[in-house]
Amino acid sequence: MINPLQAARVRLPWRGLLITMVFLVLFPLLIMPIGAIFVFATRDGLSRFITALTGEGAQFALRLSLFVALITSLLNSVLGTLTAYIFANYRFPAKRPLGILINLPVAIPTVVVGTSLLLLWGPIGLVGRYLDPLGFRPMFAITGILLAHVFVTFPYMLGAVKPVLDELEVTYEEAAYTMGAGRLKTFWYVILPSLRGALFTGTLLTFAHSLGEFGATVMVSGNLRLRTQTAPLYIFSQFEAGNIEAANAVAAVLAILSFAIFFILLRVTEREEPA
Amino acid sequence: MTFSKMVVTACLLLLVAYTWPIFSQGAGNSSPTLVIYGFSILEEVISSGILPAFQKRWREQTGEEVLFYTSFAGSGTVTNQIRFGAPADVALFSHTLDAYRLKEAGVIQHDWTALPYNGIVNRTPIIYIVRPGNPKGLSSFQALRQPGIGIVHPDPQTSGGALWALLAEYGAFAFPEGGGSAAAHAGMVDLWKNVIILGSSARAARTQFEMGFGDVLITYEQEAVKDLARGKFNHEMVVPEWTIYTEHPAIAIDRNISPEERPLVETFLDFLRTEEAQRIFVEYGFRSITDPGLDAENRYFSKIPHPFTVDDLGGWPRAYSEIVEGLWRERILEEVRP
Repeated sequence: MINPLQAARVRLPWRGLLITMVFLVLFPLLIMPIGAIFVFATRDGLSRFITALTGEGAQFALRLSLFVALITSLLNSVLGTLTAYIFANYRFPAKRPLGILINLPVAIPTVVVGTSLLLLWGPIGLVGRYLDPLGFRPMFAITGILLAHVFVTFPYMLGAVKPVLDELEVTYEEAAYTMGAGRLKTFWYVILPSLRGALFTGTLLTFAHSLGEFGATVMVSGNLRLRTQTAPLYIFSQFEAGNIEAANAVAAVLAILSFAIFFILLRVTEREEPA
Repeated sequence: MTFSKMVVTACLLLLVAYTWPIFSQGAGNSSPTLVIYGFSILEEVISSGILPAFQKRWREQTGEEVLFYTSFAGSGTVTNQIRFGAPADVALFSHTLDAYRLKEAGVIQHDWTALPYNGIVNRTPIIYIVRPGNPKGLSSFQALRQPGIGIVHPDPQTSGGALWALLAEYGAFAFPEGGGSAAAHAGMVDLWKNVIILGSSARAARTQFEMGFGDVLITYEQEAVKDLARGKFNHEMVVPEWTIYTEHPAIAIDRNISPEERPLVETFLDFLRTEEAQRIFVEYGFRSITDPGLDAENRYFSKIPHPFTVDDLGGWPRAYSEIVEGLWRERILEEVRP
């Protein structure tokens, strides 16, 4: 069916001119900077690029970032799905303000998230000061990085799952009940399978954001080489120290990974849309 | 299993295999460890010079392998990280003022002034670097007053080197003709009108200068000497007649040190003042604090006709409140605002 709105849309004249103009602006703005990473990476030969990439610090940073992204995605797929489920199915007091609140991380600057975590969990923080004597120090450790990433990426899973839950036909659930399935069974066999696409998209989005997270991480990680230095922090530190090759090698890997994730996301959403 | 499911599973398995060292981290590792936070320019000498030497020494004495974890940033950044809980056993500050701050916060409890050389482990004067051939013909801090010169300066908010630079500028304007703080004020206002970029640390400022910004970089002599020794220095160094010796302390962070760790930490701090360690510092462009005679081993050091130290400015607490706060932040910053 032809969308009547689309058919009626009036287009600007000078089509060719407009397209050229947009690309002339976008090229130096978006495409050239990313190209610069790869041009720089291969400029002095591939062997130097590989040496820079296989260094102990670079390898650890990449591993840590992927590890954190993996755990963050797992945690948020559970947390996000449950949150979306209760918001779609239950009534409870202050639901509206809470609904706004849980989406807030999208709008808060990440560096503010980092600061607030420090002021809460740090040894002089609101809660941290009571935990510190017990030897529990979540900040400047991997725990702190995970806390920051779960916070920052929380809305992505929620945003992917909630619309699907909201539109899920109640009749399927009712059918399952009439056929004698319990609530848990219904959730497991009826609701979860219909969420598969959304869970996949949400996980990839969370993973990609966690992989590149900088603002909150730089505040809470302590930036310790071989212990708490994630890939973006490695890039920043190496660049500041003037080791531009080392910084660039890891930057190129992060860029490739995000392209890959983006590509998969595009494929998945394209496949789902017509259905 | 469908093809796409197989791809997803393979990706996941690959991911877990690659990140496995992090999952299994901390399991069954009983080697003694030392966590060191240092200010920016120390990264190379500590990581490539001092730590391997100490590791060897400790292995010979105890048969154990020490593990090191390090982090380097601007001195102010390091101080704040430690204050908010970063697990440093030893901190190498760009100046003692940061140690005073951590003492106030209760993070450091001992009195480092009782240590030899007040806890200082090395020093280096503040100089400046110009473009090849010194196209603007600059030779002193006075010369930086003329309009039209672009200065890259580390940021006094986060960088210790920047605070030293402020003291160097103060002394260079105040001492030579006995003009005192009025002369320093006038000179620094002109100089600060020329500052075009603030770098978050001395290293960051250097990187910005390397990227092509500015005519002048105010920094440590070590930054230039280290590269001169390797024939990698493609700028020119200007050594002002009057300038300050920056002095860098290494201090134990009491809050983070357990009684079992204490001997290792103390041995490491003592090691920094041994002749072996001092020689390494000199090799990497720092000047020795224990024996100025060792400085002869690095032929790239310049002679400074009129050096001064922070003690000549009344010590750090006083220099900070009068020069950094009273003069620079409250007056100069206001007056140079366009």
